[in-house]
Amino acid sequence: MTLDRSVGLVFVVVAVLAPLIFSDYWVATLLTQALFLGIVAASLIFLSAYGGMVSLAQVGIYGIAGFALGNLTTNGNTKGLNLGWAEAPGVLVALLIAVLVALLFGALANRSYGIYFLMITLVFSVIANLFFGQVTSVSGFGGISGIPIPDFISRTAHPDRLYLATLAIAGLVYLALRYVARTPFGLTLQGIRDDPVRMSSLGYKVALHRTLAFTFAGFIAAVGGILFVWWNAQIAPSTIGLGATIDVLVIAVIGGLFQLEGAWLGALVFVLLNNYAQDVSFIGDRFHTLIGLVFLVIVLVSPSGLMGLWQRAVAGRPRAERADSAEAAGPAGLKPAG
Amino acid sequence: MAALRGTRRTPVAAAVVAGIVALAVAACGESDNSGGSKSTTSAAPANTSTQAPAAAEAPAPQKAVAPRTGTGTPIKVGVLSDCQGAFGSFDNQDLAGVVSAMSQFAGAKPKNPNKPRDGWTGGAIGNHPLKLVGIGCSDDRADTAIRETRRLMEQLDADVMIGPLSGDESIAVANYAKQHPDKTFVDGSAGAQDTTLKVQAPNFFRFNGDGAQWNSGLGDIAYNKLGWRKAAVISDDYSFGWTSAAGFIADFCAAGGQVTKRVFPPLNTTDYSSYAQQLPADVDGTFVAVGGAGLIPFLKAYEQAKGPIDAKKFMGNLFWGTPGQFEQLGPRVAGAYIGSAGTAGDLATPAAQDYANNIIGKWFKKIPPGGAAAPQAPSTFTYGYYVNTWGLIKGLEAVKGDISGGQKKLQQAIGKVVLPAPYGEIKLDENRHAVFTNYDQQLYLKNNKLAVKTVAAIPNVDQTFGGTFSKSTPAPGRKFPGCEKRSLPWLGKAQAVKVDQ
Repeated sequence: MTLDRSVGLVFVVVAVLAPLIFSDYWVATLLTQALFLGIVAASLIFLSAYGGMVSLAQVGIYGIAGFALGNLTTNGNTKGLNLGWAEAPGVLVALLIAVLVALLFGALANRSYGIYFLMITLVFSVIANLFFGQVTSVSGFGGISGIPIPDFISRTAHPDRLYLATLAIAGLVYLALRYVARTPFGLTLQGIRDDPVRMSSLGYKVALHRTLAFTFAGFIAAVGGILFVWWNAQIAPSTIGLGATIDVLVIAVIGGLFQLEGAWLGALVFVLLNNYAQDVSFIGDRFHTLIGLVFLVIVLVSPSGLMGLWQRAVAGRPRAERADSAEAAGPAGLKPAG
Repeated sequence: MAALRGTRRTPVAAAVVAGIVALAVAACGESDNSGGSKSTTSAAPANTSTQAPAAAEAPAPQKAVAPRTGTGTPIKVGVLSDCQGAFGSFDNQDLAGVVSAMSQFAGAKPKNPNKPRDGWTGGAIGNHPLKLVGIGCSDDRADTAIRETRRLMEQLDADVMIGPLSGDESIAVANYAKQHPDKTFVDGSAGAQDTTLKVQAPNFFRFNGDGAQWNSGLGDIAYNKLGWRKAAVISDDYSFGWTSAAGFIADFCAAGGQVTKRVFPPLNTTDYSSYAQQLPADVDGTFVAVGGAGLIPFLKAYEQAKGPIDAKKFMGNLFWGTPGQFEQLGPRVAGAYIGSAGTAGDLATPAAQDYANNIIGKWFKKIPPGGAAAPQAPSTFTYGYYVNTWGLIKGLEAVKGDISGGQKKLQQAIGKVVLPAPYGEIKLDENRHAVFTNYDQQLYLKNNKLAVKTVAAIPNVDQTFGGTFSKSTPAPGRKFPGCEKRSLPWLGKAQAVKVDQ
């Protein structure tokens, strides 16, 4: 077993045993938060690593799923539609709405590349934020409170279960993203990432592939959104504001934009800094300044994030450059198409 | 390989550029915020000119208890305030209310008489010390309030919490309270109606009123004293704005008036010109529930759109009279009637004067950034946090500091508390929400400076407005409440008040 896999295994074992090791607050608040933020960041890293698309719309889509669930399952005591549905159909319909919106967004953005793609997806997030802020029939400024959580993962009755459920879903998301990357669809996507013109001339439908990849990543982000509202019981437009959009990008960059594992590593670092930095008197409420400094250092020292640092530490060079490495997963292990 | 590396750099470069730009924007936002609020508040005169002269000879209605400490199991207290956002500059006013009540009624002592946020030392109920485990810093957003509540209750393991400050935060915290029935929450100064009327968490208590109650009596004045028949309403487009406007609408329509136009600019609007234009000319007056930072830009936009302001054609909510803020409205609004927050700093009763001078003014010399402490006592925020903390202490006293058994005994006890509060008795209704005496006030010029005087007291104001609002009615919003003539318990029963000017 390689060192990478051994360390990965240790992380997984610690994560599974976390309820026995860490305090309730760590498990139910910090680690759970890191896991679902990691899921959202993973959807961004998937698009970036395999599709060459750095999207700022992931938080918008995550919010759409959260608001949809809030509107569908609350029951009269909060803003929004208060439709009072049961949990299961609520989740399904919320995911469906988010995926349809992601499909629409993807279709609109599929011919944009680089900084233009980044900007158009930023617009999507801003639209989502303003929509929920201004349309008072579905939310309004104050957002939706008291969103119910299914009994079997209720935090009051079973403090650890939401964490374990989130961990299991995060694991599934990780495996699904790895799997998709290796399917013909995923390989084509990587070809498009490397040379869209050549892929187009080979007969691949570049725009369609990019749209579908964006939709799939939207589904993953939506799953994160559902977990978020169960964890937080509340969602407001400010939850998906510009700050939150940038936070997810920062998580992805800190973790490493090229490797899925980086999503959860970045999220863990972000959540811990966010929680403990304010206890340090000279930092206090200047969390964004601190995370900005961390971001700058990461970008200067290791553009491929903490995962890149790790790779460099164990192999002397970033994983991205070891294209011939046998176990290198994801884009690094795949030669350019054609 | 080179091609591969080359293409990969594009997303990194894009992400890095976006990240740096965004963080720079965020950082600028941060500094703008703090800088803005500091300069705004420090520009304001330290003293509100409504403050009565010291009534040293007046009997002290609420004597301070002797300093206390305890050696038993501590009662861990968390406080949730706003130190950022629209209300961030009132952070120390909030804490002044909490720490003064702890000092006056539980034998604590402020750590720093010039900086309430430093908290307190000592203090006990029975033999149980009151330990301050943390002061949360929110920013008027519900998700921040929840994050900070979690930190206080779960990480720092507080038993009871005092706060939050503003409307939507309190709805979220009340919902959080529902999920944590073995902890107890008292409000800070939040005035959204839903918090108690809709959410009805059995362990969330509110000794301050809601935004609608705070405007009770204004409709009566508009209809019967100023002769308004038709009015327009402009209000921030969120829970507190709607609740605040709902109070005026319910009152004015009950008296027989008509509200012909409702305009709702989004919170944090900076250019109000299009909203000012929407206000009709064929009304007798306009009720303005535009809060905090938006009020002055709105008045300017109105002047540009419609000409000089006639103060008799305007009414405002508590933001028109909040110490540290109203002074900047300028002489143009002198004469306008305004709501309060159940507060009346110029009330001539011994209890009211004692509260400012011998309680807030005794425990604190200064409340930054506004300056001297006593003139800031009537602030919605100081008073709200003060009465809520006091209510909590009275509940704890009743059970002798025993918070065992999932705090059920404590929660029952708090529900029965009646406060002989500085501006009149406060008791709780069946939703654990305050029934109290509200005050209507008027802006006037005193030595060419804008000042506030209290003109009427409205006793026994409850949250339902004679059935206008209940658990089954919609929450106040853009369309609710409608405008209908009905009988309100307090209509025509406003009482004259004696004030010190």
